[in-house]
Amino acid sequence: MRPILAVQNLTKTYGHRPTEFTALNNLNLEIYPGESVAIVGKSGSGKSTLMHILALLDRPTSGTVELDGTPTSTLSARRLNHLRSQRFGFVFQQFFMNPQDTILENVILPLRIAKVRRRDRRPRAEQALRTVGLADHLNFKANDLSGGQKQRVCIARAIINHPEIIFADEPTGNLDSVTGAKIIDLLFKLNRQGVTLIIVTHDEDLAALCDRQIRLQDGKIINASPRPRRTSKTSKTSKNSKTAKTQETK
Amino acid sequence: MLDLLRATHHNLLRNKLRTFLTILAIFIGSFTIILNVAINTGVDSFITDQIESLGGEDFILIASEDTLDSLSSTLTSSSEPVPYNPDQTLSALTDDQLAELKSIDGLIADSFTVTRSLSVEYISRPDDEQKYLITAQALPAGDFHISLSAGRLPDQSTDAYEITLQSGYPEALGFTSDEAALDQTVTLAVKDPVTDQITNFKATVVGVQAPGVIAVNGAAVSPALADAIYAENTKYYPPAQADAAYLIQARFDTSRFTEAEIKQALEDHGYTGLTVSDIMGMVRSFFDVIMVVFSIFGGIALLAAAIGIVNTLYMSVEERTREIGLDKALGMSSGRVFAEFALEAVLLGFWGSVAGVLISMLIGHAANLAVHAEGGFLEVFPTFNLFEFTPAGILPIILLIMFISLIAGTAPALKAAHKDPIEALRYE
Repeated sequence: MRPILAVQNLTKTYGHRPTEFTALNNLNLEIYPGESVAIVGKSGSGKSTLMHILALLDRPTSGTVELDGTPTSTLSARRLNHLRSQRFGFVFQQFFMNPQDTILENVILPLRIAKVRRRDRRPRAEQALRTVGLADHLNFKANDLSGGQKQRVCIARAIINHPEIIFADEPTGNLDSVTGAKIIDLLFKLNRQGVTLIIVTHDEDLAALCDRQIRLQDGKIINASPRPRRTSKTSKTSKNSKTAKTQETK
Repeated sequence: MLDLLRATHHNLLRNKLRTFLTILAIFIGSFTIILNVAINTGVDSFITDQIESLGGEDFILIASEDTLDSLSSTLTSSSEPVPYNPDQTLSALTDDQLAELKSIDGLIADSFTVTRSLSVEYISRPDDEQKYLITAQALPAGDFHISLSAGRLPDQSTDAYEITLQSGYPEALGFTSDEAALDQTVTLAVKDPVTDQITNFKATVVGVQAPGVIAVNGAAVSPALADAIYAENTKYYPPAQADAAYLIQARFDTSRFTEAEIKQALEDHGYTGLTVSDIMGMVRSFFDVIMVVFSIFGGIALLAAAIGIVNTLYMSVEERTREIGLDKALGMSSGRVFAEFALEAVLLGFWGSVAGVLISMLIGHAANLAVHAEGGFLEVFPTFNLFEFTPAGILPIILLIMFISLIAGTAPALKAAHKDPIEALRYE
């Protein structure tokens, strides 16, 4: 099976010598479709930088990032924008909602960006909000929601374009444990439906729920294992066991 | 595109007060400029109207220098009719002089209308001592547009003695209004060149010319009356002198010569030429001063408004940094981000200038009514609309202001477009 995302000899540095700072140092990594992967590490370990590069928001200083086997360095900015809009979904710790807008307006933002026809937007927003259990909050102002509800709106926004990969940057970071558990449950439910999940977190409990953990320290991957080489079949059974685990934590 | 417009409008409404104040600034600039343009249009159309009644831009009035000087006092009909002064005389042009004039390059010889300058001593009402100087002549054939405030122009084919007076005369002659003078009889006094005896010609007033700054033809009389007066004027003349003229109306070749060149050529030969724009020039120069002042104010206001747009948009870009970051992270192109902000600027310009148009039209029309009302300073010029609004005058202003807004919005829009999504999302 071909990895959906693969990086080779990935290095990212900031600034110039002599004050050069190496955020990521010669990483190699493959992520397969349907996987759930946690990128873990202390702050400053480079985990956010790695996520940004994987999400094609940032370009590496050296090394390659391949999406479906295609080196992304060859793609135009326009193509990259299109890829992010069509295939990726994003969930952020700080939610990043437009507080004065309604839930509906916030959720359809990716559709506006993808230039989806106006009349198709609302039904899809309703569907996405149903998935996260907020179908009856369509016309609420984003400001009036609790943190957990906001994060659910963000998930609705992330899934409205039916992405293949969801990037979640500390999705539970601003939430209490009960609300956080619900969000985690939601994310893994999507993962079971086939969405690849890449979670950046320093929460070990959350990381443990993922198929695989990539531990970063000072820009390097420090755990070579576990790196399960699965076929899609074993992957599925493994996921089921994770599901059980998710329910337990709940 | 529609989507973009909606999004932009939505963004403008987010900070209503700031948007309103920015639009207000643009409004002040556009308001001033549009009023300015409206005055310009008003003056221009009035002047065009006047020029038409005088015969057009290529029209030139030629006389010996003395003659024109003594005539010029009667040329301006807006001033009061001048009381008759028996010492004021006009000298006719000789045939030689005419031939000389015709030979001047640039003057179209065929166009010479040796105006049968009628020598009328004065006008009065029968049995009235009050006498006024008057120039009278038959209308030249061809298209002459003359605005009338009452009645009509003399019939060109009638045998009756008809006269269309210049504005001001009916009142001076003691009629209560222009209409009251219609169908009334006035007396044109013609002096016998030898015996100095006065012959009175009774004419029926058929119309009154609208007030204009100038009415070069004087009172218009029917050809029959003109012929009768002329016959009296020239009854002792040898036939060759019967064609004598004081004033020549001619046209000049505008494609080869400017007014100044033609006038210089005339001056070199000892004549004076008076073009229509000469006559209108004084009116123009008065309004030109107003317009320069207005333009400077408008320009300064627009400059301030443009800086206001820059400021508003920079604030907007800062406020929306995270939103821009999110948009770009989710795949919005830099071009689209640029377009949103640039369009925001253009919309500000659009609404500001539209507000300027509407309010200035309102005020302009009110001002038009006011200046023409009794006691208004344009009361005597009912055909002169001080403010005239035409799409051709207004549309370019709106477009210009939208363009200036676009220029003003470019720097903030570029800043927004160049935001790095990662940095923007980290922004607190």
